[in-house]
Amino acid sequence: MTTDVRTDGGSAGTTATDNGDLVLDAAGVTLRFGGVTSLNNVELRMHRGEVLAVIGPNGAGKTSLFNSLTGAYTPQEGRITYRPSQGGEHELLGRKPHLVSRLGVSRTFQNIRLFGALTALENVKIAAETRLKAGPVSIMLGLPNARKAERDSDRKAHEVLSFVGLVDKLNELAGSLSYGDQRRLEIARALATDPQVLLLDEPAAGTNPTEKLELEQLIRRINRDLGVSVLLIEHDMRLVMSVADRVMVLNFGKKIAEGTPSEVQQNPAVIEAYLGAVAEEDTAAVAETIAAHEAAETDADTDDTDDTDDSAGGSDGPGKERE
Amino acid sequence: MSDATKTTNLTVAQQLREVRWYQQPRWRRLGALLSLGLLMSMVTGVQGTHNDIFYAVRENFSDGSVAVWLGLALLVWAVREFASAPFTSSARKVKGTLVTPLGAVGRLWSTERWVRWGVIAAFAAILVWGPMGLSRFWQTVLVDQIAIYLLVAVGLNVVIGWAGMLDLGFIAFFAIGAYSAAFWTGALPVQPPVVLNNFLVIPLAVITCLIAGVLLGAPTLRLRGDYLAIVTLGFHEIVYLAAKNLGDVTGGTSGVKVDRWHIDLGFWTYEWNVIDQMPFYWLLLAFIAIVVFLFIRLEHSKVGRAWTAIREDEVAAASTGVDTVRYKLMAFAIGASTSGIAGVAYASKVGYINSENFVILLSILVLSYVIFGGMGSIPGVLFGAAFLVWLPEFLRDFVDPKDRHMYLGALLVVMMIYRPQGVIPSRRRQRELEMAEAGTGGADATGPASGRQS
Ligand SMILES: Nc1ncnc2c1ncn2[C@@H]1O[C@H](COP(=O)(O)OP(=O)(O)O)[C@@H](O)[C@H]1O
Ligand SMILES: [Mg+2]
Repeated sequence: MTTDVRTDGGSAGTTATDNGDLVLDAAGVTLRFGGVTSLNNVELRMHRGEVLAVIGPNGAGKTSLFNSLTGAYTPQEGRITYRPSQGGEHELLGRKPHLVSRLGVSRTFQNIRLFGALTALENVKIAAETRLKAGPVSIMLGLPNARKAERDSDRKAHEVLSFVGLVDKLNELAGSLSYGDQRRLEIARALATDPQVLLLDEPAAGTNPTEKLELEQLIRRINRDLGVSVLLIEHDMRLVMSVADRVMVLNFGKKIAEGTPSEVQQNPAVIEAYLGAVAEEDTAAVAETIAAHEAAETDADTDDTDDTDDSAGGSDGPGKERE
Repeated sequence: MSDATKTTNLTVAQQLREVRWYQQPRWRRLGALLSLGLLMSMVTGVQGTHNDIFYAVRENFSDGSVAVWLGLALLVWAVREFASAPFTSSARKVKGTLVTPLGAVGRLWSTERWVRWGVIAAFAAILVWGPMGLSRFWQTVLVDQIAIYLLVAVGLNVVIGWAGMLDLGFIAFFAIGAYSAAFWTGALPVQPPVVLNNFLVIPLAVITCLIAGVLLGAPTLRLRGDYLAIVTLGFHEIVYLAAKNLGDVTGGTSGVKVDRWHIDLGFWTYEWNVIDQMPFYWLLLAFIAIVVFLFIRLEHSKVGRAWTAIREDEVAAASTGVDTVRYKLMAFAIGASTSGIAGVAYASKVGYINSENFVILLSILVLSYVIFGGMGSIPGVLFGAAFLVWLPEFLRDFVDPKDRHMYLGALLVVMMIYRPQGVIPSRRRQRELEMAEAGTGGADATGPASGRQS
């Protein structure tokens, strides 16, 4: 392992794709639930500043991987190393979720989990102020440092909300926003913690085509303008192909392929995972079928009732039924 | 099944017409009013006896008063259902004449500074000097009970209303505060290293309760909702039984005499005495005002937001960087220390405590004050505690004193059916309830939203 920790002190690298600069480096991650192995010896190497997409059929273990990276689940085996741009190495496996977030790895949820009874601004402020030092006593006494913390979190929240384009909805309740706005608010909340790695779990699920385009722009801006590395779970192949630098494919908890979007699309193992048959045909046609299948799956995914894997795709996906 | 398809195809209007006659709301209202009539005839009539449990029922339902009450109920119902037009129009007129000036004041309130301060000053003046006009009995109730339980309820509100943890043993901290006061003022059979003035005991009681709160909280905060409630219940029993059975230390059931509030500066001394209740009242009013002021700041700060986040979705809060364990402990400790201050205040006012001042019933009652007034809302909790402490004392003149809590219970049942969010609900809590009802949120009364992941 190259230990060039202080490669580009301070600024998050923009196009650093040399093999040494890994912001997330996981190996041998294995997560079991009783008899179910949702992650089987998974390896993840994420370069600083890249957009890495994770794709795979439903139940492949994508969300489990996110949960393991952010401390929500503790895998039985493996290690997950995080290297922030300011140097140092941190083991994320088994770390408490709020500590992972403070280190600079932030996430959104597949099924939106906003604080519905709070306003958009309050949702973001909660994230913005977790690192600010102001205890309950200084707040109750109205000491200057508490006031400053309040002002700082307010400013930060306004900044982030205008970045994602929600400034005009500051005071609306999170629970009453439109679906697309809720997705953006979740991203804003995640960004307010000043992450270096942002994990987006199906951010386009349930959004309309316009919102999808906006989301695509937003992910690009987060990556380029803020220099945040993005790990993206997404079923919409068009979106994945357009924003991702690299793609990794999971199936039955195993990584079956990794590479550039076009490489992955032509990979026989991937095609098999998606179609359940060995198809060595015209790759364009296959890619199209994948897109159609995924679109259908995404639609089925939008409602929270779990009877997904319907026959809308025409092909019988080999992916296990979700729970 | 043709029947099923028929009902599903009906429009709302059709459904209303198809509803059976007895399912119509007006008959339900009649039923409710008649029950109220029966209840009123019981409340106002002769009270029960041990020897014959049906005595009161027989007596009250056989004399004419029950007929009067039922007739009254019927009349109210008939007027409301069939002849309400003249009443509503005149009510609207009355409302109009009232609302216009009130609305004007309301507008001025938000624009003019002096109106705001004027109203606040008038309200404060009533709070400060108003009770001078009360009878001695009501002054005592106000100080010994209402003011003390206001403090306790405001503390419990932090734990249950803001952080969403169900605490059924909150009076345990009240007891710890009271016994701290007794110990440090030298009232207990065991003597303290130095005997302190009651006022100096307050910080010590706060620290003791903080420690007790953290000791109870640290191992149990991993537990959710119901389990935490059981643990707090157990904690209360431990504290109560220790107070009761460790007679050599605590004075047990026979109790100990505690010095009342006093200031002794050497050149100047002042003693609060039982001849006049008002100085006690002013002292407690100051405590309550300070605590409420500090807590309002807390509610609208980082801490209050973090508590709401934890209550709504603990998983999301944690991945947003909120240290959930720390904030829950903080809520526990802040609530406990408020209750501890109330305990000191109680011991130093009444001048005597024994273990029976801290029975489990009080924990449950304080919980009901918070829920009745509106969890999470400080005005609500203040109102709930004041009203529900006042009510049984008020009923004393009308019903058998032993039955007073029965009526309190009935009121709570009705309240929870028709207005579960409380009298003056907090905005955040109300929204959570609405969302839960609409099926868009996971909020229940106490616990955090159950985590779903897929
Ligand atoms: N908390 C859990 N308990 C039991 N099984 C789980 C849990 N979380 C995930 N799984 C299982 O792990 C597998 C992967 O699920 P998931 O990570 O949600 O897939 P994806 O996000 O790719 O659709 C599924 O078989 C699922 O049932
Ligand atoms: Mg998933």
